[in-house]
Parts: sequence; C-alpha cells; structure tokens
Amino acid sequence: MDPDNYSYIDNSPPETRGNGILKGKTGSIQPNMSVRGWPTEAGSKALEGFSALEDATVIERLRKAGVEITGSTCMSELGFGLTGDTAARVISDGDVDFALMTDTMGEARVAASSAGAFGFKPSYGLVSRYGLIGLVPSMECCGIMAKKTEDIRRVMEAIAGCDNHDLSMPEYEVPDFTHSGEPKDSRIVLGTIDQCMDPLDPGEIGAFNETLSKIQKSGITIRTCSLADFDLFRTVHNIIGSVEASSSAGKYDGVRYGHRAKSTENWNEMYLKSRGESFGLPIKAYLFQGTYFQFENYSAFEDACRIRARLVKHMEALFNEVDFLILPTRRHGLNVVNRTTIDEVYDVFSLALPANVTGLPAIHIPGSVLQDETDLGMQLIGPRLSDAHLLSLAGTLSHLCQGGI
Amino acid sequence: MDYEAVVGLEIHVQLNSATKMFCDCPNRPGDEPNQNICPICLWIPGAMPKFSQAVLEKATLVGLALNCEIQKENAFDQKVYYYPDLPKGFQLSQSHLPLAKNGWLDISDETGQPKRIRIHQVHMEEDVAKLVHETEGRTPISLVDFNRAGTPLVEIVSEPDIGSPHEAMEYIRSVRTQIRYVDSAECSMERGTMRVDANISLRPRGSEELNTKVEVKNMNSIHNVGNAIAYEITRQASRLKKGEAIVLHTRLWNPERQVTESMRGKFEGPCIPDPSVPRIVLTNEWLDTLKARLPEMPGIKAERFFKDYDLTHDEAVLMSSERNLSEYFEAVVKQGIAPRFAAHWIATQLLPALKERKQNVEDTPVTPERFSQLLSMLEGDAINTNSAKEVLAKLFDSTETPGAIVEKGGFKQVSDSSEIEGIVDQIIAENGPAVDDFHNGKTKAMGYLVGQAMQASKGKANPRLMKEILMEKLGTE
Repeated sequence: MDPDNYSYIDNSPPETRGNGILKGKTGSIQPNMSVRGWPTEAGSKALEGFSALEDATVIERLRKAGVEITGSTCMSELGFGLTGDTAARVISDGDVDFALMTDTMGEARVAASSAGAFGFKPSYGLVSRYGLIGLVPSMECCGIMAKKTEDIRRVMEAIAGCDNHDLSMPEYEVPDFTHSGEPKDSRIVLGTIDQCMDPLDPGEIGAFNETLSKIQKSGITIRTCSLADFDLFRTVHNIIGSVEASSSAGKYDGVRYGHRAKSTENWNEMYLKSRGESFGLPIKAYLFQGTYFQFENYSAFEDACRIRARLVKHMEALFNEVDFLILPTRRHGLNVVNRTTIDEVYDVFSLALPANVTGLPAIHIPGSVLQDETDLGMQLIGPRLSDAHLLSLAGTLSHLCQGGI
Repeated sequence: MDYEAVVGLEIHVQLNSATKMFCDCPNRPGDEPNQNICPICLWIPGAMPKFSQAVLEKATLVGLALNCEIQKENAFDQKVYYYPDLPKGFQLSQSHLPLAKNGWLDISDETGQPKRIRIHQVHMEEDVAKLVHETEGRTPISLVDFNRAGTPLVEIVSEPDIGSPHEAMEYIRSVRTQIRYVDSAECSMERGTMRVDANISLRPRGSEELNTKVEVKNMNSIHNVGNAIAYEITRQASRLKKGEAIVLHTRLWNPERQVTESMRGKFEGPCIPDPSVPRIVLTNEWLDTLKARLPEMPGIKAERFFKDYDLTHDEAVLMSSERNLSEYFEAVVKQGIAPRFAAHWIATQLLPALKERKQNVEDTPVTPERFSQLLSMLEGDAINTNSAKEVLAKLFDSTETPGAIVEKGGFKQVSDSSEIEGIVDQIIAENGPAVDDFHNGKTKAMGYLVGQAMQASKGKANPRLMKEILMEKLGTE
C-alpha cells in the first residue's frame, strides 16, 4: 500500500464485521463518503478538519456484508474532475478488491480506463446517497471500480435498494444481483450513436470499429442509432451541474466546520474570505459559473432543464430499437488529471456524462478499445434499472474482446 | 389628486406539527438554544432531508381552509441568499410549483359590505435559525440558535385586493380564524407564530394601475399592521403630492414611534428547483381523506347558527369565531338551554370571566355541563340573575355542581308570595316618604322601593314577583 494514495488509512484493529456475501473482501472509499469518526474533507479546505458524524448507508451495508474498508483515497476538490484522484491507483496496485468513487460526470468509468478495471455507474436512485458529501445531487451516484464484474455485482447486491434516509430513491423493484449472469444469447442488439462518433478522429474511430467487428463476429447485432442533440449533453450537464454545485457548496461558510479566515471585520467578510481561501481554481470557476446562471441568466438554466428532459426521452426511445448502447468511454490523448478550466475538465468526460444527465446505468469495459496503448474503453449504457443485466453483459463482452468466444 | 391604497399581504404562519419539516427534531423553537437540532437541520455535509407527512397534511389543510385549489404536483425550490441564520446558503421554499393556488376569503369592509380578498397562493417554506446579538467584553458577537431552523411555515400570499387598514385587519383575522379551525397553527402575531408583511402602493382612485410598492415588515400585532398601513398611505401620498417618486424598498415598522423606517433595498434572490426533495405528488384518495377531516368551517357554521338557532347575525359570527367556542356553545344548547339565552350568557358573562382568569373554553373547570346546569336554574326561575352571576364566579373555584352551590350558599330564589308579601309590608312601613312620593306621581320612587325590598331579601327574591306584589299593595292602599 502506497500511503501517498490515501488521505486516511484505517489502522484501528479489525472489528468483527458482518459475515455476509462480501466476507473477506476489501474496498476503498473516497473522503466524501461518511464513516463515523473518519476525516471527511472531500478534498477541500472548505471541509478542513471535518469528521463524519455517522456512517453513510452504503458503508453500513458494506460492513454488514463483511467488507473491510481499508481507507480513503485522495480525490479532486469536492469530486470535480480527476485531478489528484488516486482511486484508480489503489485498484491497479491491487490494494483492494473494489474502490468506491462518486460518478458525477463519468469519473468511475474514466478513472477505471487507466486502471485496467471495470468502472460502473448504477442507475440514479438505486444506491443511497445518504452520507455522501456530494456536489451535483441530480447527476451523482456511487460508482464502483473493480477488476472483476463479479465483485461489482456483489457490491451492488449489498448496497442497492431503498433507503428511507434518501428521498430521491423512488420505491421500485431492485434488480436481482444475486446470480452471476449467464452469457446472454446472441440475439442481443447493441446500438452505436451516430452523432457521438462525429467529433472522434480517424484513429479513435478505427480502434472502436475494430472492437465492434469482433463483437459482430460473435453473432451480436450492432445497429447505428441517431440522437440528434448528442452534443447538448455536455452543455446541459455543465449548466445544471454548476448551478446545483453552487447551491450545494453554499453550506461551506466556515461557521460550523472547515476553514475560517482569520481576523475579519464582520460576518459577510468572513464568508467571503473563508470561501475565497478555501476553494481551488477549477471548483471556484465552476461555482462562479453556477452563481452566474442562478442570478444573471436563469432562463439558460431553465432551457437546460427542458433540454435535459427531452434528452432523457430521446435516450429512452433508443431502447425501443436496441438493448444497450455502446460507445467509447473517453477520447484519446487527453491527460485526465491537471485540468484547470471547466472546459478542460468537461473534455475528459464528454463521452461519459450522457449517462449522468439521463440517470442511466453505464459501465466501462477495460482493454476493449485500444489506441496506442491508451484504453479508450468500451462503454455500455443500459435502460433504467437494467444494472444487473448490464453487468453480466459487460463480463461477456470483456471476455469476447480479449479473445474469448 | 385623490389616491387609493393597493395592499397585498404576505402572511407567514408557523405550523403546529410535532416535528420539523425535513427531520424528526421537535418543532419547539422556544426551547433552550440549540436543543432541537440534528445533522439534517444543521445541514451537516452528508445529511439528506426527509419530508414530513404531518407537515404536508397541516399545510394542505391550510390551503383547503383558505378555499385554494390544491396542486396535485408541487415541489420545493431553493431561495438562494447568504445570511448567518441560514446554514446552507439557501432556504427551501415553493415558488415555481406551490402547494395551493387561487384561494379567497370573504371579509366585511368598513361599511359592513362583504368583500372578497383573493389569495394568490399558499406554499410551504422552512423557517431559518434565530440570531442572538450579544457582546463579549466590548466585542459585539452574534450567536445562532438553530432550534427554529427547518421548522415548518406556510406563506399565504394575497392578491393586491386590500384597500384599507380596516380590510387588512379583517383579512388577517379571517385567515387566523380559518387556520385555527383546521388546527394547523396557533396564529399569534404577539408570539410570532404569525408574521405579516405588507406590500403597499397608491394609485389615483378608480384607476387599475399597479404602481411601485413598498414592503413593510416588523408588525407584531394586528393593530400594528393597520397602523403601519395607515402611516404608509399617508407617507406615500405626501411624497406623490410633492412629485417625489416611490422607490421599491423594505421598511420596518417602529412600534414605539408608530412610523415606518427605511431598512434596505428589497432583495430578490434567485429561486431554483431543489434536486434533493422529490416532487410531491398528491393522489385524489389522499386529498379526499384530508377533506373528510375538515370541520364545518366558520362561515357555514355561522349561517347554520343564524338559521337553526335564531341567533342574530353578530351572535352567530361570535359563537362560530373559534372552533372550541362553537363546540362549547352547541354543547350548552344540547343540554336544552335556549340558544339565544346561551349565546347571550356566553358572550356577556362567561367570556369576560374566562379572560379575567386567563382560561380558555376548552380547559376551564366551567364545563358546558356545569354552565348549562347554572343556566337551566336561571331559566327555571330557581335563581335570579344576580345569584347566577355569583354562582358562576364560584364555579371557577369549586368542583361542586351549580345545584349544590346554590343549595349551600342559599342562592335559591324566593318565589313564595307570602314570604315576599311580608317583606313588602315591612318596606312600605319603613319608607313612608318614598311611598308618599310614589302616590304623588314620582314613579322613580318605585325603583327605590323595589331596590330596598330586594336588599331586604338579600337579593334572593324573584324580582318580577316582588315588583308585582309591591304594585298591588301600593295600588290598593
């Protein structure tokens, strides 16, 4: 274990944990997930010295299932982007069986692409967010990274399902995660999205098509679908995300916890200085942008909400034509860390964030689309609550892409 | 130029649910500071709001009591602003999709004519924390008490249909009566469970225009709302007459000086849909069960009292003005007391006596049963009015029945004519000059003689009988 990869390592003597389906498994979390008594600073000075008061529902359920949570990795400030994030490293180092990682724009999937791991984003509302120090409530959910889909399936079996602490979880039938899925028959139909391929360069398209032909050879049908406004996913995410972030981060005022500026004249100045000193550049820009839309350009935000609803409908309609959508996880030649502007951050996630805008489940399959040794990844997006099916299909396709049949 | 006032009121009412709006903390803002708090109402990172069904029910009952259309889909918005009383930088309120719309209340204007005040909307809103300003040595410090943070409010926004201080006060009283009937709130301006902000503008009489308004806050009684509006009308009229413009801003009512004072420019922060509390969807079944819980409302009840019990209009309105009072009244009538007699005694004797003792109809030892027994003795001439008043006073301090008190205290009215005749003979004998005056046409002397005779009976004689016998004796002599 490389201590640099951790913001907190749990050295307390191992307690007798639950004896459930995940007995003996280890997992890491990010420091935005509440574990009672653990430092929970979410990578931000705004939460300096803050320790969680209670366990997140996810933590409670994982421990009950027998997981040993080894520690918190490092994360970018408030989870905006992947700068400084080490979750992928603890997976590639083999420290843990799985890593939890908040997926707001596609973080768990894009980070997994550099770890040779699967990165899974469940359906919105399937996993409780109680105890998660989030940033964009309507987009974020608990992502899972692991080398094996089997581990993700077991984790989902443990954590998925209604929690009366989290109002945003409607009551519905939780997908059945109890069986590892049998390889699906070849009648399955996958769809590519025409407009999503438009901005890709020939190298990226070539690598992706190569994978598609492997899949087709196995007898799976691939169709080309059309989603006219695909380029609007990014704009919609950017506007709504920044507005929600601006509200969510409103609580960081330096009054009850976190960094407080020294020697200020009055409370207003204390707010301004404390917040000014707390936030780093990318998140500051993002919060400012959100405030701009709130105060100065509300109609743009309303438009974004309307377009989002339309995109959700269009995306759902595609699942009348195909069973799952397939697209690359990320672009080639992008350094995913050290992004300083909002645009640079969004560049990293342009192919991953549609699943967050629509709340649909998605998974990154490692090693399936390679260009010059960069794992662009094959990303599957499924209909709402198809999570279990999506996981088993990901296992099948991974096997297939790496030469299996 | 002659101006008329255009007034709209925003009334915040603190609901009386047992718990706060988004957590299980007790809804008791007045407790020792920071006792009723939890991670949710402190908005500690990681906490998530849960929405109280009890608050939804209480708020919906308010909407129904104010004749609103309940919105099957309503949702919370974030009112964004920074202030130390707000631990998360926004207040959860309803702006885009409020709980209830298009209500109304009928009031009486100055001339007694009915006037309808339309209600634009009723929405739910969480209250904010309370700031306490103190000094530590010489340094002024501000302390925050979060007991009130997240307690449930409804805000009732009227249309600008109110034309005078009188109408404003009538409207507030009517809102209070309706809400108390459905037991959703205490509605006391003095105790801060009802807060009224007034938006006031003027326009040339008869015109339809809506001019720049001024918002006035900080009135702590219904009378002060009337006074503040009256003051503001005069202030604005004199500005307009001098050709000065009215600027949109907020003023505070100063109750000592009885004037409004400029506070700040009116701040309107943005209101954005809240992503954490899901949209509230109400089913017809749910609404029907709630409607079934509505009591007979005061307007309908007054009408029934007027028709069924032959009360005067004023009596009917008074007896239905509070739900508990109306129930008390009907319980007394049910014991067989004549309705108008009961209403009269409740209004003129019981209510003042309760007020003096700081009691309410629902918790006084003078239960409807005991009060009815008293009135029934009075109706049956067993006691007279004077004795009845004395017995009523004793009922407050004793658990005995009115009958027992009358018996023991010797309050029984003397209706035995031979006994009364004896007293009358004695009075006539002792008051020669007055008797002479009476015979000389001084009718006033009769009153004096009756008074003397009543006194001699220690107030227990039946006064009607006493007068009859006296007349008879004086006439025949």
